[in-house]
Amino acid sequence: MKLIGNIKKRFYNWIDARLPANPEIQLRQRNIYILPTRYGWLMLAIILLILIAATNYQNNMGFMAGFVLLAIGALSIFYTYRNLRHLKIRVLKPQAVYAGDNVSLSLEVINSTEQFRASVGFGETKKKTSLIDIPNSDKAYYQESFPAHKRGWFVYPRMAVTSVFPFGIFQVWSWFKSPYKALIYPKPIAPSSPLDAGVNGEEDGSTSVKGSEDFYSVKEYQPGDPLKQVMWKAFARERGILTKEFEDKVGEQQLFSWQSVAHFEKELALSYLCHELIEANSKGIDFGLQMPSKKIDLGKGDKHLYQCLEVLALF
Amino acid sequence: MLIAIQAVVLFPLWFEIPSWITAATIGLLIVKYLTYKFNIKLPSWFLLIFVFSAFIGIFAYFRTISGRDAGVGLICLMYGFKLLESKSYRDATLMLFISFFIMVMAFLFNQSIAMGLYLLLAMLAILSGIVALNSINGIKGLRHLSKLSGVALLQAIPIMLVLFFLFPRLPGPLWAMPDKSQGGTGISDSMSPGDIGSLTTFDDPAFRVKFDSAVPSASEMYWRGMVFSNYDGFTWREGSRSPTRTTNIPSFETRYQYRVQMEPNKSRWLFGLEQLATAPKDTYLFNDFTWRRPKKIINQFNYSAEAVVYDYQGVVLSEFHRSVNLQLPRTGNPKSREWAKTLFAQSRSTEDFIQRILSIINQQQYHYTLTPEVLEEDVVDGFWLGTREGFCEHYAGAFVFMMRAAGVPARVVTGYQGGEYNPYGDFYLIRQSDAHAWTEVWVDNKGWVRVDPTAAIHPSRIEEDLRPRATRRDDWFSDKVVGFDLPQGFLQKLQMRWDAIKSFWDDSLMSYGQDEQHDWLSKLGIHSNQWRYLGYGLVVTLLLSSLLFGLWLLRKSIKRDPVEKYYELLKQKLMKQGVSIPEHYGPQAIIELLDKRYPQLHEKYSIAIKFYIGIRYKKETDDESWFKRFKAQVKTL
Repeated sequence: MKLIGNIKKRFYNWIDARLPANPEIQLRQRNIYILPTRYGWLMLAIILLILIAATNYQNNMGFMAGFVLLAIGALSIFYTYRNLRHLKIRVLKPQAVYAGDNVSLSLEVINSTEQFRASVGFGETKKKTSLIDIPNSDKAYYQESFPAHKRGWFVYPRMAVTSVFPFGIFQVWSWFKSPYKALIYPKPIAPSSPLDAGVNGEEDGSTSVKGSEDFYSVKEYQPGDPLKQVMWKAFARERGILTKEFEDKVGEQQLFSWQSVAHFEKELALSYLCHELIEANSKGIDFGLQMPSKKIDLGKGDKHLYQCLEVLALF
Repeated sequence: MLIAIQAVVLFPLWFEIPSWITAATIGLLIVKYLTYKFNIKLPSWFLLIFVFSAFIGIFAYFRTISGRDAGVGLICLMYGFKLLESKSYRDATLMLFISFFIMVMAFLFNQSIAMGLYLLLAMLAILSGIVALNSINGIKGLRHLSKLSGVALLQAIPIMLVLFFLFPRLPGPLWAMPDKSQGGTGISDSMSPGDIGSLTTFDDPAFRVKFDSAVPSASEMYWRGMVFSNYDGFTWREGSRSPTRTTNIPSFETRYQYRVQMEPNKSRWLFGLEQLATAPKDTYLFNDFTWRRPKKIINQFNYSAEAVVYDYQGVVLSEFHRSVNLQLPRTGNPKSREWAKTLFAQSRSTEDFIQRILSIINQQQYHYTLTPEVLEEDVVDGFWLGTREGFCEHYAGAFVFMMRAAGVPARVVTGYQGGEYNPYGDFYLIRQSDAHAWTEVWVDNKGWVRVDPTAAIHPSRIEEDLRPRATRRDDWFSDKVVGFDLPQGFLQKLQMRWDAIKSFWDDSLMSYGQDEQHDWLSKLGIHSNQWRYLGYGLVVTLLLSSLLFGLWLLRKSIKRDPVEKYYELLKQKLMKQGVSIPEHYGPQAIIELLDKRYPQLHEKYSIAIKFYIGIRYKKETDDESWFKRFKAQVKTL
């Protein structure tokens, strides 16, 4: 058993090494494999039985039936092979997810031939596949989800594209690998007590930005200034068009640091940071991340958030 | 769907298996349908009981569970049962594949063309079922599925034919089969009044004959089967007889050569045109000039033979044979015995005696009818001197009886007489209804002379339906024979054509076997190592055809969408202009690329590309005309 296991492992390693990691895979003769299924063997056994019976009873109709089945079996090789041939599989770029969610693999299957491809199966192994149809000169999409347990890069397993259509006596298959890795962020967990984020956050962070909240000064109207801010009273007194200028005080800004959570267990700490970053982003405040190895300056917006999360994911 | 397929597959077998099994399988189908419809789950003990009772039933009925009939019955039951418990893909697939075998079982009973066609249909149904199992939509695309399987079947047939003719065949049964099959219709191994008459209603073919030489006239076509020399007062049976060696028979001269294609008659005798001499392969010639196979003929059987004329000059009938052919029961039919002795005393010779009796049959009120009065005792007396009506076995039996009573060795011969010519297949068809009985009388220096007393009956006293047949007999009274030609209607021609096709089917296809394979290989000049050549032929033709076929099949899939073709062409033209288009760029991206980097090309190419976008991505476009314009655009570039 162990020997077989070893051989299997070696075989799959060899296969893996052979697999090109291209975003687009063209199925062709050199990467399509074919073997009879168990029903194929069953059919062969039945054909043999029929032929033996036909010989025994000198029954030529029996011979004919047996040979027709044999011919259909042989033709099946072509039929089944044809079902995969010239299909193009394009692996779509994966989206990052949080640990504990499902990371998905999206495929676009392109059939540029004039032939309907029925029941093409995709799956991690040849045996467990889900089937899709790909009409002629058309595309189909396939998505498979994998549970993302750990933060970091998720490496997709080797995938199989198979078909037993039409008669189920032969199975053709090909293996391919996604060239992409999916990024898994830490799982966001709300810390039980607020992180002392403001420790060194607020003291040098009081920069002022022109805004609309606190009155700041009065200036000449310039086209483009919001009408709301025009001093209509002054205008009424014929003092010209003046607009008020306000100032947003961006006091709510946070720099999250590894220091603040370093006393937690590493993964938990990252989860807390992750949660806080998301919270901060949803509040719309400026935030930054200070990790031992890398510092991300203050900023806001989703893009900024993802930048921070990536640092966490790969920490 | 599965239920329907199973019904289709089992249908031909329903006529062959015992009726209770038929009923059980139909019952199973109905049960399955009901459980499926009302979503009932059958308890497993029910299934168990069923399997158990099926075995018991089969055993009680056949007293065995092996052998053809019992085996078929059992398999049918199990097959029906399998459907009952199938739920998963695995079960269903298994059932469908087993269906193929069930289907072939039907061939054991019937190998006719109709059966072949029907089973082609059944095969189509099974294949469609398999395809349905393997596709997402299940049976919804039934038409598409059956088209797919139909195409597969059509493509498989030429391959089947190659295999059929080239595949090396083995002789005979691989193992002895217990076969207690009932005798088929046909001539039986004894003759009592009414036996042959009952055959006249059977129009089944007995055998077909093709002549390689000149064709004898219909009145000469006496197909000899059996000779009966033992009479117990009611039934004629075969007497003492033994296989003979060719050295023991008189010298002979060949007259006709012919080939016979015999329907399985489930008995051992062969029929041959009189007189019979050298026996066909694996067949014995008996000393009463009949042929006998070592085994029952259960399959179509072909043989060639020749009809001969024996030269009996100087041949003397041995004492033993004389006594065999003079045997009569010690008592019974006293009047006929007396009558015969009296007439013989008046005759000048044996031949004169024969002629006198025939004249009496011809001129007195002797009738030829299928429905004579039934006689229980002294049947010869009752028939010859009483009712004077009967069928050929009455006449032949009575005739031989009187010959023997007068001391002339004589015997009854049964077989077939005549034959219907089929111009489309150039063969003669001999039907069961052509069964006949006639006699042979020993005349010194002439040997065994065939005398057909039935042929002497005056045509006016022959039952009307029987006339056409009777006119074909030995014409002892040829001047008085009236011809009754059936109108050659359209239907009859059709019938003949159909029979010619059937003959081809049976002759060339169903009886193809080791011998035939050997024959045509020998004709090609391959006498030894035939298997090896067959192997070569098989491998070469299969490789070649699969190569061609594979190429053709796969080529079809490469055939591209014309729009795509021109789009590719357009891209190539762009490449030639020095534009490098990344692989993943869509048409819109190409336009943008051209706009940015190759403004001089943009103007020229963008229109065509826009056409392409229009055809491909806009919903409602007049594809035909758009494509034409797109094509023109690309061409002018």
